[in-house]
Order: sequence, then structure tokens, then C-alpha cells
Amino acid sequence: MTTAAPTTAAGPGPLAELATRLRIWWTMLAICLEERLAYRGDFILGTAMRFLPIVTQVFLWTAVFAATSRADIAGYSKTDIVAYYLLTMVTRAFSSMPGLAGGISRSIRDGSIKKYLVQPVDYVSFLLAARIAHKLVYYAVAILPFAAVFWICRSYFPPLPDATAIAAFVASLLLSFLLGFFMEATLGMLGFWVLEVSSIVFAYMLVQYLLSGHMFPIDMLAGIPTGIAGIDVADVVRWLPFEYTAYFPAAVWLGKVQGAELGRALAIEAAWVVVMAVACRIVWWRGTRRYSAYGG
Amino acid sequence: MPNRLVARHPALLGLRGLTMGRYLSIFGTFARACLVRDMTFRANFLLECVTSLGWMSMNLAFYLLVFQFTPEIGKGTGWSREPFFAFVATGLIINSIVQALFMPSAEELTEMVRTGGLDAVLVRPLDAQFLLSMHRVDFSSFANGLVGCGLLAWALARMDHTPPLVAWLLYPLLILCGVAILYSLVIMLAAATILMGRNQSLYDFWFYLTNFSRYPAEIYAGPFGGPLRALCTFVIPILLVVNVPARVIAQPLAGGAWGMIAAAIVAAVASLVVSRLVFQAALSKYRSASS
Amino acid sequence: MHNTNGHKPPGGRIGDDTVIWVEGLAKEYRVYDKPEGLGASLRGLFRRTSRLVEALKGVSLTVNRGEFVALLGPNGAGKTTFLKLLSGIITPSRGTARVLGHVPWERADDFRRRFALVMGQRNQLWWDLPAAESFRLHKEIYRLDAARYERVRDELVDLLGVRKLILQPVRELSLGERMKLELVAALLHEPEVLFLDEPTIGLDVVAQHTIHEFLRHVQAERRTTVMLTTHYMKDVAALCERVMVITHGDILYDGSLAEIVDRFTTHKIVTLDLDEPPAPGALERYGFPCEIRGPQVVMRIDRSRIADVLPEILRGAGVRDVSVEDVPLEEIVAGLFRSGDARPAEPAEAPA
Repeated sequence: MTTAAPTTAAGPGPLAELATRLRIWWTMLAICLEERLAYRGDFILGTAMRFLPIVTQVFLWTAVFAATSRADIAGYSKTDIVAYYLLTMVTRAFSSMPGLAGGISRSIRDGSIKKYLVQPVDYVSFLLAARIAHKLVYYAVAILPFAAVFWICRSYFPPLPDATAIAAFVASLLLSFLLGFFMEATLGMLGFWVLEVSSIVFAYMLVQYLLSGHMFPIDMLAGIPTGIAGIDVADVVRWLPFEYTAYFPAAVWLGKVQGAELGRALAIEAAWVVVMAVACRIVWWRGTRRYSAYGG
Repeated sequence: MPNRLVARHPALLGLRGLTMGRYLSIFGTFARACLVRDMTFRANFLLECVTSLGWMSMNLAFYLLVFQFTPEIGKGTGWSREPFFAFVATGLIINSIVQALFMPSAEELTEMVRTGGLDAVLVRPLDAQFLLSMHRVDFSSFANGLVGCGLLAWALARMDHTPPLVAWLLYPLLILCGVAILYSLVIMLAAATILMGRNQSLYDFWFYLTNFSRYPAEIYAGPFGGPLRALCTFVIPILLVVNVPARVIAQPLAGGAWGMIAAAIVAAVASLVVSRLVFQAALSKYRSASS
Repeated sequence: MHNTNGHKPPGGRIGDDTVIWVEGLAKEYRVYDKPEGLGASLRGLFRRTSRLVEALKGVSLTVNRGEFVALLGPNGAGKTTFLKLLSGIITPSRGTARVLGHVPWERADDFRRRFALVMGQRNQLWWDLPAAESFRLHKEIYRLDAARYERVRDELVDLLGVRKLILQPVRELSLGERMKLELVAALLHEPEVLFLDEPTIGLDVVAQHTIHEFLRHVQAERRTTVMLTTHYMKDVAALCERVMVITHGDILYDGSLAEIVDRFTTHKIVTLDLDEPPAPGALERYGFPCEIRGPQVVMRIDRSRIADVLPEILRGAGVRDVSVEDVPLEEIVAGLFRSGDARPAEPAEAPA
């Protein structure tokens, strides 16, 4: 889907070009949405069902709290836990990239990536734009069940955080989208070297599952030692990019991360985004060189 | 052959002339073919074993973490660390059996409906439900079950409670009941696939449904939990699958336990009958891919 | 709908020799419309429009033992639906049928053991197994006697010349090879009735010929009743006498191939080689010239008038050669396909 606004000697005004691009974007969006709605039973059921695993987790934690006399676990009270899981769903709505790595490696394998090497279109930007479109479209409709669930569970949430925290929350969400995208895109592009990327992706998913905060708040890892003196598991995890795909924005909203630490963590997240974006670029560049050298 | 008895029960329609030996030998051919194929693609097979073991270890790590914060799951339920791991082990065993024997065929059903392969099955003088639920076996799924056995042994060794002989005798039977209930759910899933064609949500539905049975039923308490627990025990007996055998082997057999055991057996039989009826109904409404 | 099978009245009584009996069989589907455009898609979340598709509109016929019958029709005519009804794969909306005395959609095991269905381009063999394993599985499923099964299998395998293929996994074979193995598998249990759904589709000419030969041989030897659907004329011409033309869920014609010409055409094709191109309007009184290529003229002349017109033409000077042919079968049948409502023109009714 390349957009080539015709340029004559006089050239269309930048406004006209913008209008064209917007029109094309709107069509893309509309088609994506139609596609979604075509499987309407799928869609309604699927969106509602995403909340089910949280239900089980919440019941589990309630039972855990019932058997212990503690008021909170690692700083999370009974109600905090529910809010936490719901918020991680929001983060994962931004950062999860289903089918991205697999799609890239597949198009490398079956050769359909060739057309992106030949056309004056930047593959990575194209993928990014497509993902943005897809997510906008999907959540434009899915926001209804989301809002409904949040409304029902509003008593579990602490009072609204201050403006700084909200700003940091939004920033961290946008960064987590980019982080998730570049991580998975880079993995997918390893398909230039490795035939079956799925094992690598699987290992990535596994680590992410454990360390992203998807299963439990990372704060709960506090106090678990590694073999090395003075370094806890939690310390190591804080420097890794995984917690930003589920845990971090949720923790920000709930006020678990404050002040200087908040700034530092955001900086680490941004740094990881840059690192992965650069890595993605490099991998693309070297991968396509290798691909062309070997004739695909 | 009790043909008159069979004839009077519509649920058993199509099972006339059923000989265990014949079905076993046909199943054996299928299983053998799948095993040969798995061994041919050995690397892939090992990868799949590692995959399922990987997910399982992550969950075990999580449970260990949880027990850092609490002595048991739910107050007074008896699910302290070792019994809980016995519960998890039971779940692994039951799920691995279902994943290995029945899920692969069910997953292929969408494709079969789409390409018309289902037509070929309906033309054979053999029970369609049998063919459609058992023609593929995924041996790599047994890996989890083996680990489950090991985990069970570990948990039982470290537990205070020693299961009495009757518990040991009941355990395999109740595992079979659990498998039967899950199998019935697979069959209903298959029936829905036949009626509705492609529907990815159905398989997600399976994941979410079995998700409920991952933890002891006691966690479903309170104003929402109570009704949910009742729903998942008496309507869709998903909570009887793992809970009953796990409780029998890991906890002392209190009075209520016998009622539970009876419920599990009844639920298993009832599920099999109901799912068969539903499946036959779906077949009679089968549309078949257009030519 | 004009049925003239000439043997028994359509949907008539079931005789001793009747293998397939169909009475008013009909099948309808409700099809939901896919919405176009965003607005319609959103509306589609709540309410969907649908329409009723009549795949089969009430068909009646009988087929006797040993007959080889073709069901000829374009795509979407209802031929495959008809076969699926007779095989018991789907249930009808109206009407009834008996095959070998059974109601097909009750799917009795006794019934299923006595017939076979082969579908072109759709694989029924187990994909991952070599054909030999599929055959063995077949033997178990159909409960065949071991010695007899081996004899039949060897016979069929040798007839089709596929002995070296049966140990290879099926997915590695070509379409033609797979089709031959499918036929072997289908006949292992020596069925009394054989249903074939477009068996030669997608095959090369040699494979088609081999299969035609094979089917003729088998049918003659074992007196199998065969019903074959196809949209290729040459399948029909090569294999059977009795053909049923089906379009839009209706059987338009049921009779012999030879009779189609008589029933559905009013004229013959006459090709004239003249000394010089004809004068304009010179030939109109004899018939309808449709092609004039210099001195060669192709024209259509009414059958009833051929006997009179031809001598007149020949008496006229300048005719070097003449040939008289029937309208090609393909053309007649294609016309039938298109019309969906053809009325056979009896010579008496033909416009003068």
C-alpha cells in the first residue's frame, strides 16, 4: 500500500498531499474494521473473553489473601491486585503484537518480502503504520467492553493519580507500543538468517510471560537473591525491557513508582525503545543485504 | 452383544456392532502413523516437548512465588504447598492426556470442514465421532503428563498426609472421569465447528474454560465466586475434572468427599451422553462445503 | 422439467432391480449476505439479511442395477448436492430417496459398507500415510476378509498400474496418481454402487483415458451401478448411454445421449463448398446462412426441410461439395446449461 502523490512541475500543495494520505488512511482503517466485523460472532465473543483469565487470577489472589494475615503483598492490597491486572490489560493492548514476528519471517520464507525490497517503501515504517491502523481500529470498537469492565470494577481502583502520574502513564503506554513493536519486528527479521524463527519467538514469549508483570507484579520479586552478592533478581529485571510491556504503566498509575525513580524508569524505557529501533534498522539493513546476495 | 439395549438408547445410535477390538486396532494404526511421523521430524517433536515443558515451568515458578506470601490457598481449604502441587500435578496429567489424544483431531476439524474432508468420514461405516476425535495423536503432549507424575511423587513424598489404599484405587478412576468430561467438551467444540465452520473464538473458548479449572475450586468464593463455582460444577462440570481426583489423593477423605466422587462419576457419564447427542445433531445438520 | 428415461415413470414404484430411487428430493440453504462497506458492516453486527438458495428443486428418478449414469451440468447446478444427498452426507429439505433399500442420510453402517464415493480433487486417503497403509485401514474399517481383500487389491492395483506408488506418502504424488489410488481404495470393498463426483477434473488426457478404461472394465465385470457427475462432455461420451442434464437444481433431460440431438435441435448444419461466393440473399430461401467464408458457406437448415431443400441446392449450379452434420453435442448441452428452462422442440412443434 504505497501512497504516491503525483508531483507535477507545479507540485500539489502540501495540504492536498496530506488530504490524499488521510483519505488513504481512512480507507485502510475502514477496510480493517470491516474485516474485523465480518467475523462478528468471533469479534464480540473474543473481546469479552479476554477478560476471563483475569477473573481466575483475581479469585486466586483473593484466596491467597484470605489465608494470610498480611494486609498487602509487596505493597499490593487485595483491591490493588484487581486494579493491577486490569491495567496490565491496557498496557498489553498497546504492547502486544500478535503475528508480527511470525508474519515477517513467513514473508521472508515465501519470498513475498521481495516486493518491499524493490518498491520505494520503507518496510519497517509500513509495518508500523499498519500496526497503528490495526490497533486504532480494533480498540475503537473494543473500547466499549473495556470501559464497561473498568466501570464495573471502579471500586477497586485507588483515587485518580496526579497530573504527573497520568502524563507519565500515557507516555509509558506509547513507549510500550513502540518497544513491543521493535522487539518483535527485530525477532521476525532474524528470519533472514534462521529458517524457523518460531523457537526464538517462543523463548522470547516465555521470558516475557514471566518477567513482564503479566502474571504477577514485578514488585513481588523483591528480596529474591541471585547467586551474585548484593544483586537481587528484582534489580536485574528493572534494567530489562520486559517489564515495560505490562507492569510499568500499571505501576505508574497505581502510584507504585514515584519521583526520581519514575523519571529514571521512563528514561530506561525510552532508551530501550531507541536501542530496539536501532537494532531493528541494523538487522533489516544487514538482512536485506544478505537476502539480495543470496538471491532470496 | 446387548443389541436390544443399545437400540433403545438413541444416545448410543451408531454404536451398534461396536467391537472394542476393532476400534482399538484402528486407533492403533492411527497412533502408529503419528508416532512414525513424530520420530521422522524428531527435532520438531523435541521442540514441542520443550515448548510445553517451558510454559509449565513458568507456571510452577509462579506458584512457588505465591507460596512465599501465604501458607495455603484459601483459608482452611487444606491446599498448602505440597497438596497444591499435587493438585497441579493432577491437572498436568489429565490435560496432557486430552491434549495428546483428542485435541489434535479437534484442531484439524476446522480444516476438514473447510476442505470437505468431513464428507469422506461420513461415508465410512464407522462411527464419525470416533474417527473425528481420535485419528491424530500428539505424543509430545505426554511430556507434561510425565512431569506431572514426577511432581505428584515429589508432593506426596513431602506431604504430611498419606493417602489410604482406597484413595490410590479411586485416583486413576477419577482421572478417567476428568478426561471424560474434558473429552465431552472437546466433542461439543467439534460439534460447534461442524455447524459454524471457522471460528477461532471457539478454541480460545477452550483455553479460557480450562483456565477455570487450573486452581482448586475453593478459590471461587464470595458473592460472585459462589454462583460461578456452582455453574462450573453442576452445569459445565469443569471444576470436577481436576478437583476431585486431586482432593482424593492429597487430602483426607472427609464425609463430603464421597458425594463429590459420586458427582464426578455421574458428571462423566452424563457429559459423554450429552456431548454425543449434540454431536449427532450437528452431523444431521451438516451443510458440507459447496462444490 | 421433461423426464423421459423410457424405463419406468419417474419416481415410480421400486422394482426388484431398482438400486437408486428418488422422489421429490429437494435441498435449500439459507445464505447470509456479506455486507459491503463500513455502514453495512456495523449494521451487520446486529441484523443480517439472508436469502434462500435452492440447490436442488425436487428431483425424481430411478436407476437400475448395472446402469452407468452420468449427471451432466455446469458448476452450481446441483450435481454434487445430489450426490451428497444420495451418499448420506447431508439431509434433504424435502423428498425422499432409497439407495440399495436404505435411506442414505440415516447413515446405517450396512448401507455405508455397500457403496463408495470418490470426489475429484478432494482427498479421502489419509494424507500422512502411504496408500498401502490407507488400504489396510480401509480393510479394517470395512471389515474385509483378509484373503479376499488382498486379491481384490492386487487386481485393482495392477489394473491401474500403481503398484510402485503405494508405498509412497500420498502427499508426494501427483493429482493423477492420487486419483488412481483413490479409485483403488474406493473399490476395495467391492461396492454395489459407486458415486463419482467429477473424477477427471484437473487430470491430463492420458490419466483421464486410463480412468475411463478402468471404470468401464470394472463396471462391466462386477455389474456395479455407477453414477458420475461431470461437466465434461467427453466423460459422458466415453462412458455411458444414459445421461441426465441438470441445471439450477432441475433435471432437464434424462435419456440417451443420442436422443439429445433429436430432442433439442430443430436443424442440421450444412456446409457448402461453392465455385464462387454466393450472391447476397441467394441462399436465404433454403435456410439460415450463419457463416460465409468466401466460397464456403455454413448454414442451418431446418431438419424437416432437409430432404426437400438439399436436392434443390445440389441441382443448382456451382456446388462442389456438401456435408450435413448434427449440431455438436457440446453446443446443445451448453445451450441447455444456459437456458435452465429448455423445452425440447418436437419436430411437430418446430416453427416452419
